Amino acid sequence: MIQNEILEYTRKVFEKEGADKYQCSIVRTKKQELTVDMGMMRMLRTTLDDSLRLLMIKENRKAQIIINKTDKKSIDDAVMTLNELLQTAEVDKAYDISPKQEAKTFKLGKEEADIKELCDFVKEFTTNLKEKYPLIKYQFNFSFDYKQELFVNSNGVEFIEKNGAYNFDILFMANDGVKTTSFNGTEGSMRELKGKLLDFALVEDGLKQSIKELNAKAFEGKFVGDVLIIPECFDDLLTQLAQVSLEDNSLISNTSVFRDKIGEEVFSPLFTWYTNPVSEEICDGSAITIDGFETKNMSIVENGILKNYMLTQYGANKTGLKRSESYGGSFEVEAGDKTYEEMIKGIDKGILLCRFSGGRISPSGDFSGIAKNSFYIENGKIKYPITETMISANFIDMLKNIKTISKERVNLGYSIMPWVLATGATISGK
Amino acid sequence: MEINNISSYLKCMKEYTELRVQENNNMRITLVNGNVVSNQKFSKGGVSARVNMGGYWGFSSNPEVKDETIKLVIDEANQNAKYLFDINEEIPFNLDKEKISEHKDFKTKKERWSQNQIMNFLKEIDTYILNKYPNVSRRINLNSIDVEKTLLTSNGTESYLYWPGTWLIIELTVKKENVPYVLYQSNGGLGNFEDNFDKPENLYSKIDELYKKVINKSEGVYAQAGEKECILDANLAGILAHEAIGHTLEGDLVINGSVGGPNLNKKVASELITLIDCANTYRGEPCPVPLYIDDEGTKAEDAVLIENGVLKSFMNNKETANVLKMESTGNARAFEYSDEPLVRMRNTIIVPGKDKFEDMIASIDDGYYFVKSGNGQADLTGEFMFAIVEGYEIKNGKIGKAIKDTTISGVAFDVLKSVTMISDDMKWNSSGMCGKKQSINVSMGGPAIKCKINVGGR
Repeated sequence: MIQNEILEYTRKVFEKEGADKYQCSIVRTKKQELTVDMGMMRMLRTTLDDSLRLLMIKENRKAQIIINKTDKKSIDDAVMTLNELLQTAEVDKAYDISPKQEAKTFKLGKEEADIKELCDFVKEFTTNLKEKYPLIKYQFNFSFDYKQELFVNSNGVEFIEKNGAYNFDILFMANDGVKTTSFNGTEGSMRELKGKLLDFALVEDGLKQSIKELNAKAFEGKFVGDVLIIPECFDDLLTQLAQVSLEDNSLISNTSVFRDKIGEEVFSPLFTWYTNPVSEEICDGSAITIDGFETKNMSIVENGILKNYMLTQYGANKTGLKRSESYGGSFEVEAGDKTYEEMIKGIDKGILLCRFSGGRISPSGDFSGIAKNSFYIENGKIKYPITETMISANFIDMLKNIKTISKERVNLGYSIMPWVLATGATISGK
Repeated sequence: MEINNISSYLKCMKEYTELRVQENNNMRITLVNGNVVSNQKFSKGGVSARVNMGGYWGFSSNPEVKDETIKLVIDEANQNAKYLFDINEEIPFNLDKEKISEHKDFKTKKERWSQNQIMNFLKEIDTYILNKYPNVSRRINLNSIDVEKTLLTSNGTESYLYWPGTWLIIELTVKKENVPYVLYQSNGGLGNFEDNFDKPENLYSKIDELYKKVINKSEGVYAQAGEKECILDANLAGILAHEAIGHTLEGDLVINGSVGGPNLNKKVASELITLIDCANTYRGEPCPVPLYIDDEGTKAEDAVLIENGVLKSFMNNKETANVLKMESTGNARAFEYSDEPLVRMRNTIIVPGKDKFEDMIASIDDGYYFVKSGNGQADLTGEFMFAIVEGYEIKNGKIGKAIKDTTISGVAFDVLKSVTMISDDMKWNSSGMCGKKQSINVSMGGPAIKCKINVGGR
């Protein structure tokens, strides 16, 4: 069946089953992926998949199921399973679906990739790596991903989203025949193949870091000092903070330290943070929320003042707070007024944190783990790459104690981030 | 699955080809303080083909398992392989293996429970905790997976595997001076719900024990930082074996420069240490994640990685075996139908020793007994860090006060060299997933080991 027919059939089954409310989306995805290993193109992979997500509400009970079959029998079986799940579901008046909105079709990016163009782009990168960084060993996947989603619900919502983008991930390390560095990695997204992949975001910076790491040494001692966080790592930490303190779970369970803090200054006034899922510049966002609303770009923090949570319709109904126009991701942080070089010069004692490997940030903001692919900074200069170095700090306190934010920002395709210098972290070595 | 017999497609395979029909079914139920916060089912299945031409792979998958889509994915995988072969130079690989066949079905033979019966079971457990320990927050999480896959390769190898796994994780949280202390307990493993669980009351003594432990933890002390003599319980020894050692010995990562490569045939651990990635059976019992024929059609064999302290081998698929001039150990695994097989671990263990656990504790004057890990991070250099969520002081040869959450870190081979005692018992843990491009079920296990390790502490 084609997607429209699948949805039409599903609607009829839901109505026959007496659903009070229902929601149905079918997402058809196609991935064309080139894998590079041992320095060579190794595999070309084409995958097609369907994801039929069915949600039914009956007498304030909710059940949902996700299947990847779209024939009539599979849909009938899935709805039968939904009925079984409903019998054991909790009554919760907060369950709901989105209200009627104007029918829309969203088109982001292109629908098809030219495989020759993709292979040429990758080939250029592997050639550049071989010539400039022969000590780098790597595994690399580069794909074009296209999805087409049709979303309907019983309130008459009808959305279509067509979204295509190139995505890549590289896992790499340096090896000089004797020494091996920690593994490093980077990933990114782009709508078009432009320029060289080596010049994209911080790809080449990461490769240079790994070469330098061949001479890394264990940091000795312990101090409380500055941490200059690189854009990729800062996005990772912000994502974790959002999950434990600004989204549904923490606000519903009342474990968020930011509950009732909307409008208050909770971070440094230097810090402004957005979630921009439908930005022209960021290409991993989605135009439709998981619960059937049109997504909008939104500020989370403006000059240190908390402006919005990232609450779904269910989260809003449970907490009595306002539903958010974005549920997170596609983060953007505003630039500051110092260059990266000026920031380094301003550090007496600290580290350049390139990757954090450790426990998740706790609801109170505490985190600790190993500073990977990182460097020791002293008297305004990067001194040497470090190993076996632990960092422990409170990320919320660090965001309160931001010293400077860089003028330069990096568009990773999934976020736009500057370098951020904060203080108050405990750094301990052997 | 719509089509289980795929033998007839052998005639469509002109090049080296793997054809796989697979369906994964998951169920997830979560109760938080009695509220059902998750009650979902997921199903994902389809057909995929992987073809090798001149050393280059082509892969294709489709969610519909029908005659025309099976032919389509074989054809598209051929086209993809040919595309790469045409623009690159031939790589000589020997992918031939003997033709074998196997049929293994671990699906329960018992009468299946309904969703209602399972939910009532979970609610009874929740009610028991609420009534007996009203001061704790409780989270009960049931996860199950059923994987059914059929494989046919171009040399005529055929394999069928039905593998179910079920895990019930009970987590208790107590607050002391407004600080939450959390501890979990994992139950279950290989088999459907009916094979792992019977009556809720069978779990009550374990819940009582968990409650005592979380209360002790809330009254616990902070660990002291520094290198200490420690006993790592089976759970942690297994994670060490998998995360910090195992990944460095996966053939693809060895080729890419992991610390394992240069250490082949060298002493990397105490003579007491033997580390094996078991294929399917240990001491006559099926392992939690049994594999008989891997997803490339190779017979899955135990990979003895470290024997009496010497690094003996790596885990390989057909391709890495060619590069490393070794035999494939049958470690090629794919998680979903649309995933390509990668070099993955299966059931990674440290082999039990001869020491009694009590003697091991008695041998330490000032150290720690670490029992459970929250999460772990490891590197291809062998450097690792694990969060510890359950641990105890050892003072004068006796287990003492519980400790609050801490971390341990070190370099894996250095830690294994420091091992002086290994207990004679064995425990499995299979509730976790291993992420390496694809997330996949793995199991790990072992005895308790005595070693020196860096404690984060304060």
